[in-house]
Amino acid sequence: MAYVAIADRDHEQDHHDPDTFITKYVWSQDHKVIAIQYGGTAIAMGVIALILSLLMRLQIGFPDTFDITPYQYYQFVTMHGMIMVVYLLTALFLGGFGNYLIPLMCGSRDMVFPYMNMLSFWVFLLSCIILCISFFVPGGPTGAGWTLYPPQAIAEGTPGVDWGILLMLLSLAVFIVAFTMGGLNYVTTVLQARCRGMTLMRMPLSVWGIFVATILGLLAFPALLVAAIMMLLDRTIDTSFFMPALMLAGEATDTEGGSPILFQHLFWFFGHPEVYIVALPAFGLVSDLLSTHARKNIFGYRMMVWAIVAIGALSFVVWAHHMYVSGMNPYFGFFFATTTLIIAVPTAIKVYNWVLTLWRGDLHFTLPMLWATGFIFTFVHGGLTGLFLGNVTVDLPLSDTYFVIGHFHMVMGVSPVMVLFGAIYHWYPKMTGKMPNKTLGTIHFWMTFLGTYAIYLPMHYIGILGMPRRYYSYGDTDFIPASATGINESITIAAIFVAVAQVVFFINIFWSLRKGEPSGHNPWRATTLEWQTPDTPPKHGNWGHDLPEVHRWAYDYSVPGDEEDFIPQNHPIKPGEASVEG
Amino acid sequence: MFTLLAIAMCFSMVVAFVLIRRLQDKPWTQQGVIEGSQDGLTSSAPKVGLWTFLGVVTSVFLVFIGAYFMRMDMSHGGVAMGSMEMRDWVPVDEPWFLWLNTLALILASIAIQLAHGFSSSGAGRANMRRFFNAAGILTMLFLIGQVLAWRELYLTGEYSVSSAAFSFFVLLTAVHGLHLIGGLYVWSRAAARIRRGLEQAELHQVARLRQSVQLCATYWHYLLLIWLVLFAVLLTT
Repeated sequence: MAYVAIADRDHEQDHHDPDTFITKYVWSQDHKVIAIQYGGTAIAMGVIALILSLLMRLQIGFPDTFDITPYQYYQFVTMHGMIMVVYLLTALFLGGFGNYLIPLMCGSRDMVFPYMNMLSFWVFLLSCIILCISFFVPGGPTGAGWTLYPPQAIAEGTPGVDWGILLMLLSLAVFIVAFTMGGLNYVTTVLQARCRGMTLMRMPLSVWGIFVATILGLLAFPALLVAAIMMLLDRTIDTSFFMPALMLAGEATDTEGGSPILFQHLFWFFGHPEVYIVALPAFGLVSDLLSTHARKNIFGYRMMVWAIVAIGALSFVVWAHHMYVSGMNPYFGFFFATTTLIIAVPTAIKVYNWVLTLWRGDLHFTLPMLWATGFIFTFVHGGLTGLFLGNVTVDLPLSDTYFVIGHFHMVMGVSPVMVLFGAIYHWYPKMTGKMPNKTLGTIHFWMTFLGTYAIYLPMHYIGILGMPRRYYSYGDTDFIPASATGINESITIAAIFVAVAQVVFFINIFWSLRKGEPSGHNPWRATTLEWQTPDTPPKHGNWGHDLPEVHRWAYDYSVPGDEEDFIPQNHPIKPGEASVEG
Repeated sequence: MFTLLAIAMCFSMVVAFVLIRRLQDKPWTQQGVIEGSQDGLTSSAPKVGLWTFLGVVTSVFLVFIGAYFMRMDMSHGGVAMGSMEMRDWVPVDEPWFLWLNTLALILASIAIQLAHGFSSSGAGRANMRRFFNAAGILTMLFLIGQVLAWRELYLTGEYSVSSAAFSFFVLLTAVHGLHLIGGLYVWSRAAARIRRGLEQAELHQVARLRQSVQLCATYWHYLLLIWLVLFAVLLTT
């Protein structure tokens, strides 16, 4: 049977669209609108963080050329890190793609609790506003570093100690409330609102990644919440949860006995799962991109799901590998090094499976495919340096050097961003009904891909040389050779180059919205349910009169004997269709 | 550290074992609509939502408890080494009426369970309303009792925020109280709905009401459990 989209079949229209502009686009309870609101806000925050990183790079690449003070430098570092990790990546993957894809891919009409979903976005926006206000208060935003370690985060002398740190902690607490409201929706929708025939093991890997990442978030963000509350109290009413006996400017503080290490434990108990809160959705999305554009079923679907679950479970027992230098018991170091290296096993399984999915596939180098293959490179790169840092003895000398910066930017900066761009280009036709411009997208890809390598590859080298991170200026330091200065200049130039590339992305997105070619319902000829909606972009309620019915898994690409090279999930089994042997 | 590690182990086991049963399917061999699979939004969705939320609540309290023990060890360790006196951890002598508060919360839990039991029969609806209201009032009494406990401790003059034991006492009871206040908000809405005439209510509204009473009951029992654990933890000072 030839492929017929639901749109081309006879069906009754039965939409209950919200009727006013406000309920449709502002106070909307539609998951797709909320997704775009979440995505737009997150990307706007990301642009702020990108500009901050450029300012920071200008100082390191060309010290004392621009009018940047040490205070400002630390503020840029802190805000760049926090915004990128929490307000861009977490919000865009879960709030953006989670909201957009979960109901569509599971065949639901909306999230289970649409009102709470709407609140989730508005509370998220509030947290962003609170954070941005800190740029304008006396003393500016906090400059404590994104890890916000006490005592220095709340001790006199740190930038933003008056207002910045308060607003940061408050904003994080508000963000966690927003995330919890969204997260409850994502989990409940996946568990309770799938359409007929959509078993858990028939869900596309995108949904799996987002689902498990949400569970991680729901369990891990409370640790940050608890840490933020306790630090707020330390800062405002002088409790000593984290504040030890201190001499500040020659005077003893009122605090005594508090434990800075306790904060580190709480922070990283959240902080490490956070890495996977960002990475797991990326793993899921990229699996779908690769399979669709290689016209081949994903290699080892079941193992991919297991790997996602295993990585999620393991991510709770590795946090202290961020704290090897905190003076921990060597046995603990051994334990955490072991668990850390064990995570490499399911992760490697995933990488092999992606590569094997490409193997002898019918590769179409479309825009999403470019980014997805780019991701495999950057992720392998970042993952391998992770193996270095997971070992205590190797980590000790490399700790707090640019090697670490290179590693984590490659693995949880560039790699998820590669997937994000790929996913945006992939689902843009569904969201807008227009195709993104391929030429502009290709330029965007190559500038970003090569540019980020030019930024982060040399960082590993200067890190091994021993160049410490978080230094405002290096001056005439003996152990840093003159060549490092040249490298730093080139890194800064590459960073500007990559930032300019993002302008191409925005031009593409806005230009294509008006002038892009109409995409039709299923331009990539994909199998998953979101491409089978009666309307593009899907209307409120997604499915018209009847919910879809799922008859097969999400990866029936190039099935032998079929005239099309894909069979959508909702297509019934044809008479005589061969049953596949497991 | 061990506490946090134990919590982590629990989390990872939850993540793995909740799912592991379902992960045996080979989707590429199964074709057609699988009978018995769910069909659109299920009626148990609010229940699953509540349990997911309780998972988050559990995480918040477990992390707090972990922090409590780690911070306490830190102080006791300092004393053991003779490096400082224990000013930063003055053990809290809990007021006796905390036991009374606990009793109130237990009674609230029982009352709400009875309300749920009566919600199934038409004749029992008046009783349902009575017990449901009683549960809310007992909970308010519990909250007032908690505030009185803070006052009592404060008035002794022995405790200040520089003692982390006292800070933890106030913080943990406050966070637990906030969760109850959130519960009371939902309770007040359900109670108002019950008041607005059960007799005329349509059948599906009755079902909805039953579900809210049931969800409230689950939440109350869970918060009671958390309080019992917290109380035990706070007595270990």
